[in-house]
Amino acid sequence: MRIGIVSPYSFDVPGGVQLHVRDLAEHLISQGHYVSVLAPADDDTPLPVYVVGSGRAVPVRYNGSVARLSFGPLTAARVGRWVEAGRFDVVHLHEPVTPSVSVLALWAVEGPIVATFHTSNLRSRAMQAAYPLLRPSLEKISARIAVSEDARRTVTTHLGGDAVVIPNGVFVERFASAVHRRDWEGTPARPTIAFLGRMEEPRKGMPVLSAALPQILREIPGVRVLIAGPGDPDSIREKMTPRAAAACEFLGSVSDADKASLLASVDLYVAPNTGGESFGIILIEAMSARATVLASDLPAFARVLHGGNAGEMFRNEDPVDLARAVVSLLLDPPRREELAAAGRERANAFDWSVVAEDVMAVYETVVFGAASVRSSGETDSRWARLLRAGRNNGGA
Amino acid sequence: MDYSRILVAIALAVLVAWYISYGAARLDRLHTRVEGALSVLDAQLVRRAEATLELANCGALDAASALLLAGAASDSLEADTADQSSREAIESDLTQALELALGPEALRRLRADEGVGAPVLQRVGAANQRVQLARRFLNDAVTDVRRVRRKPGVRLLRLAGHAELPQTFEIDDELPMLERGT
Repeated sequence: MRIGIVSPYSFDVPGGVQLHVRDLAEHLISQGHYVSVLAPADDDTPLPVYVVGSGRAVPVRYNGSVARLSFGPLTAARVGRWVEAGRFDVVHLHEPVTPSVSVLALWAVEGPIVATFHTSNLRSRAMQAAYPLLRPSLEKISARIAVSEDARRTVTTHLGGDAVVIPNGVFVERFASAVHRRDWEGTPARPTIAFLGRMEEPRKGMPVLSAALPQILREIPGVRVLIAGPGDPDSIREKMTPRAAAACEFLGSVSDADKASLLASVDLYVAPNTGGESFGIILIEAMSARATVLASDLPAFARVLHGGNAGEMFRNEDPVDLARAVVSLLLDPPRREELAAAGRERANAFDWSVVAEDVMAVYETVVFGAASVRSSGETDSRWARLLRAGRNNGGA
Repeated sequence: MDYSRILVAIALAVLVAWYISYGAARLDRLHTRVEGALSVLDAQLVRRAEATLELANCGALDAASALLLAGAASDSLEADTADQSSREAIESDLTQALELALGPEALRRLRADEGVGAPVLQRVGAANQRVQLARRFLNDAVTDVRRVRRKPGVRLLRLAGHAELPQTFEIDDELPMLERGT
């Protein structure tokens, strides 16, 4: 099958949606399909062979994070060309209501369109303001997928209709076979805790962990906190007590292999995210690496953790409860072992081999008997006309 | 003076013409989507019935279950595709027949029979999953058409022409025991 996938976010910066797109694309390619991914990227960014850049990516605050997006008439023209050149059987858009290439592709495409909704908090004001404009193009989507029940609820409330829930996938084996690193493994006197993610973003929960640390250190003075992810360590340290800051080790951005090793090596992985997570793929990665998981009790996390069977939960945004849970888990190795084993088992349900089969079933259903994807001449030529006019003026 | 009035009139006429052609094109696209989704669902229902027939004849089921499944499956294959409400009833019956025939003991035996039973059972499960998907996609498309056709402008100008108002397809297609992870 010829599949075109569109990511609204740039591949320069790691994030849940980009990883989902990359992994799905790689899995489908390994199954023998032709896949081309369109994503924002500067022209000089090195990209995997199957990715086509849609032009300069601009950092924009969107949905509580800084996202690198790409838009404007030039990008729209590139999207049109990509659609025409690809001769796709199906085009799969991710986050189609983001101001980026996905929505441009939605305008540019006629034919079988599948859309995946990742977020559980669509910005309803922007949505409502642009609704009359978006509505007719959203009607072109033949199949809607939501990555979680929360994302599905958002789709039903904001867009009407329904969506099929197909969760995020993980290459379980990559994490399960991660090498342990001695310097990240804990000892009874010096147990290790890991935090992963953009630490300066409050919704990732660093402030909650910072507030819990003094109490944890009172009970277990030797605790080491390993923090991996982009961000400025000093901005985090200055908000901590000196003792807590001394217990933290900042690893910076880590490679995928190091991330897996970190998760596999530490005694406890903590996800204190305070909201805005519709899925929590990092929890599944941690479970695949056989880490013991402690996460805030967000509905999305509770679902992934099977209501607490596959990992422990604490009250969201409650540092006291977080500290209590960390201490009791660090002092109870059999319990940690039990949770890690249950988590490893649970992770299998999210392996790409399982998840991609469901995505393929959706593709097959929409492609069945349909003509292949073409570019909708209308929008394309409108932009093309504008561009030509601009070029002619410039030349004269 | 008259000149500018004529210009305004022309501009208005162009605007109205654009609205009509745009609205008609949008509706036309939606109707095409519904027709496409309907033919997909039709094909998937046929596949499911064929897979059920195969299951009935695979020899791993008891005679009574086989007969029940064969009956429901051939009803589905012979159904009048034009009569939607009777078809909905027939397809729900087929789902129920599968549910009855695939009790825990029958499932255990089928799954143990790796030569014939397990692959046939897997085909029935996959076919049913595709029926669920096709039905959901059809119903989404129908909901969209009906919403647009309710708009006053669309009704006033009869932009939908003689196209029939599509109906959602309502059947029982839940077979929890065939879903993965069970």
